[in-house]
Amino acid sequence: MEPQDYIDLKKIKWEGHLDRRKISIAVLALLAIIIMFSSVFQVGTESVGVVLRLGKYHRTLGPGLHLKWPLRLETYDIVPAERQLKEEFGFRTEEAGIRTRYAPQKYLTESLMLTGDLNVASVEWSVQYRISDPFLYLFKVRNIGETFRAMAEAVMREIVGDRTVNEVLTVGRNELSVAAQLKLQELCDQYLTGIRVDQVIMQDITPPDPVKPSFNEVNQAQQEKEKLINEARADYNLAVPRARGEAEQTIRRAEGYAIDRINRARGEAERFKSVFTEYRRAPDVTRRRIYLETLGEVLPKVGRKLFVDKETGNLVPLLQLGKEGQNQ
Amino acid sequence: MKQMGWLTIVILGVAALIVIWDGLFIVNEKQQVIITRFGKPVGNPITEPGVNFKVPLLHKAHFFEKRFLEWDGDRNQVPTKDKRFIWVDTYARWRIEDPLLFYQRLTDESRAQSRLDDIIDGATRDAVANHDLVELVRSSNREAALDPSLPEADLEEGLAQIEKGRSNIMQEILLSAASKSSNLGIEVIDVRFKRIDYNDDVRENVYERMIAERTRIAQRFRSEGQGDSARIRGEKERDLKQITSEAYRQAQEMVGKADAEAAGIYAEAYNRDPEFYQFLKTMETYSRALDEDSLLILSTEGEFMRFLQRARGR
Repeated sequence: MEPQDYIDLKKIKWEGHLDRRKISIAVLALLAIIIMFSSVFQVGTESVGVVLRLGKYHRTLGPGLHLKWPLRLETYDIVPAERQLKEEFGFRTEEAGIRTRYAPQKYLTESLMLTGDLNVASVEWSVQYRISDPFLYLFKVRNIGETFRAMAEAVMREIVGDRTVNEVLTVGRNELSVAAQLKLQELCDQYLTGIRVDQVIMQDITPPDPVKPSFNEVNQAQQEKEKLINEARADYNLAVPRARGEAEQTIRRAEGYAIDRINRARGEAERFKSVFTEYRRAPDVTRRRIYLETLGEVLPKVGRKLFVDKETGNLVPLLQLGKEGQNQ
Repeated sequence: MKQMGWLTIVILGVAALIVIWDGLFIVNEKQQVIITRFGKPVGNPITEPGVNFKVPLLHKAHFFEKRFLEWDGDRNQVPTKDKRFIWVDTYARWRIEDPLLFYQRLTDESRAQSRLDDIIDGATRDAVANHDLVELVRSSNREAALDPSLPEADLEEGLAQIEKGRSNIMQEILLSAASKSSNLGIEVIDVRFKRIDYNDDVRENVYERMIAERTRIAQRFRSEGQGDSARIRGEKERDLKQITSEAYRQAQEMVGKADAEAAGIYAEAYNRDPEFYQFLKTMETYSRALDEDSLLILSTEGEFMRFLQRARGR
């Protein structure tokens, strides 16, 4: 669409002076073709076309085939306004897909940054944005791609610079992206870029490589701590509930003993009382009866029995009963 | 006549072409133009888009950018006020505010870029050298959110308080650069630190410090783990003792009470006739105490054998 056409036209005209007829037809035909081709243009699906008439903004067109004034009377720029665009910092996607492949090399100058406590963190992130105002995008800032990258880097570093390395690595992670998005949008508006920042996505936020092992060590130690505590708790749980049960057992057993003891006492007391009542009616007889009954009960059980008479003094046993005696 | 007509047409045609080619020009939205006659500026700069006319061949149109332009500085190694060597990388936005002045002082953009290098780099160096590193890094005195899982006491440097902060220092650089470039027809709109980094030596030291800090935290975790574990084990011992002894105490109390109660019951009953009680109990004891292996010696004088003796004796 650049005005090379003009130069051709001029040359042809000069030559046309020599042989008017034939060449003037050719010239007219060529002119017609050039005008035709320079009057039609296409805008892709994701884009809009911005048309300048005589250098001045005239209209914005959606996707499709469009007519314009020929030659440089109207010029147009295509802006991918509907497409979501992405800038990556600290890493590069080499091949997007189901399993996206990333470039193996590190972009340390982009990713390493100072935190507010003057430590260093490696932050990788990407920005998704859209061209919301094609007019501003085209006519207010030159070389907007690089501008945008520089802005995004400055913003991220500013935000990370106001946080501790711990915040950046752990608790403040989500907050980072929100803060960065707000700040970057603010800057985009200030520079009249016509860009709307859709999302700032934090990718890997890690300690710098040489420091990584020591960060892992902290995690490890943390887990070790948990493990030790858990083991001790397990030990506790193994012993204490059992001891509680055993204690309960001791107490119950004592209870049983108490009940047993008292019941027996009561029973025996009652028994005695009953016997005693009878006894009082005829003390002598009862006494004797009991004595004899007892002996009657005892004697058969006893293996060896010795009867001693007063007259025989303390002499040899007269009679031996029981198994032993029988065997002799 | 015919020849004359021809010639006239040709001359007019050529003149028309020259006028169209060199006299008319389109200024678009991105451009601004000044016109010179043999190097001397003519008229006012054209900043609005549209078709314009100049005298062909005599006048010359110079096109300049109207948009915001980029400036990206080289990385500079600069010491801060607290003597730390850092790399500073800045970028700036600027525009040609007065194309005429710009043309007179700088002619074109590449010379402008090189002047901006001097101006902005200088201003940056001054600003960096006059401030502590933390002032360049931090932009507010916000409090750090704490990671609840990390022991706070072990974090060496929290967020130090600042007086000015990054944004204000950038503003200072901007003001300084803007004032130095205003007589060049340039407006510097914004200067920002793109990157501030430690140089390699300093970075090594920082890494070592970070490693030491993490090691300390790790050690604390380990020691805490051992401590807690010991405490729990102690608790276990204590609880065990407490539980068992408590149970023992209760059991003994119960046994004692029961014994006492039983004794009371017995006493109450047997006190009616202690002698008879003794007799009964003795009888009971006999029947329990004597068994197959016992040897029982009975005198005929005893109650049991009395009759036996009497029968024989009489």
